[in-house]
Amino acid sequence: MTENIFLIALVVLAIVALNTKKLRRAVVYLGAFSLVSSFVYLLYGAPDVAIAEAIIGSTITTVLYLVALRKYQVFSIYYANSANDQNLRQLKNEPPFLTSLEAFLIKREMEPQLIYSGEPIETILAQEKFDLAIHHTDQDIWIYGCAEDYQIDAVEEYLLANHSDLNIHLIRCAEGDDNEA
Amino acid sequence: MIDRSEIISRMTGLLYPFILLFGFYIILNGHASPGGGFQGGAVLAAVFITRYLVEPDRCIRLKTLKTAEKVLFICIILYPAFFLFSTTANHSELTNLTYLIAMNFLIGLKVCSGFTIIFFRFAFYEGGI
Repeated sequence: MTENIFLIALVVLAIVALNTKKLRRAVVYLGAFSLVSSFVYLLYGAPDVAIAEAIIGSTITTVLYLVALRKYQVFSIYYANSANDQNLRQLKNEPPFLTSLEAFLIKREMEPQLIYSGEPIETILAQEKFDLAIHHTDQDIWIYGCAEDYQIDAVEEYLLANHSDLNIHLIRCAEGDDNEA
Repeated sequence: MIDRSEIISRMTGLLYPFILLFGFYIILNGHASPGGGFQGGAVLAAVFITRYLVEPDRCIRLKTLKTAEKVLFICIILYPAFFLFSTTANHSELTNLTYLIAMNFLIGLKVCSGFTIIFFRFAFYEGGI
């Protein structure tokens, strides 16, 4: 009877770990999953395997995953340019404010991933998973970010301090579930 | 992990001797009860890994650990060879017991240093950022 309860708990924890939006929570659920599975090993009479599973599965792997998450934080930036043709031709070399923005993000231990998009900004806002979406028009630069992302404040402060000549407008969107980690 | 938590550092400081005791218990009782060199070594490595959570500095000496691991590996190979070929007569109960305990101990120390090296290499030197 106890075995069945813990086996059901295993399945539930696995499904929950798969369906969480945040990777950090999924790691914690995986740790709980391997703890329960080590208890199931104990119930089936394999204490050796249970000890190894409890130590490796729920301690070392969890810590390794957490360190890896902290090391590799991808920050995806969508860049849409709807200026006139002359500006579009200049797209081959990056605008200078994007280069300095990337350098700023690397300094904050993140990995900026720049995606040039030809679609209009509305479809990007509706469909893609982004951390920042940049809309470059003739005179203004519109930057869309999540309101719950704590990095946005630092990005805004940095851009206003260093590129105040560029007409940058920052808009915070309400959706926050799409971001990972 | 960046800002250190007072509670976590004090509690892990309290827990270190118990983790060490439990690890050596698992290693030294491996021949009679569940556990053994591998599991006990992993428990010992957990000491170093929790130490990284408390204060992530680079003052751990990886080179010493690497040489220790190599020396232990050579010991693990040589000791069974000597044990097998030293006496042709039947081994007594006591020599078998000491052989098992010593092998478990060597394997436990080697697994501990191996896990610690893997973890600190990953935490400090991989990823490039």
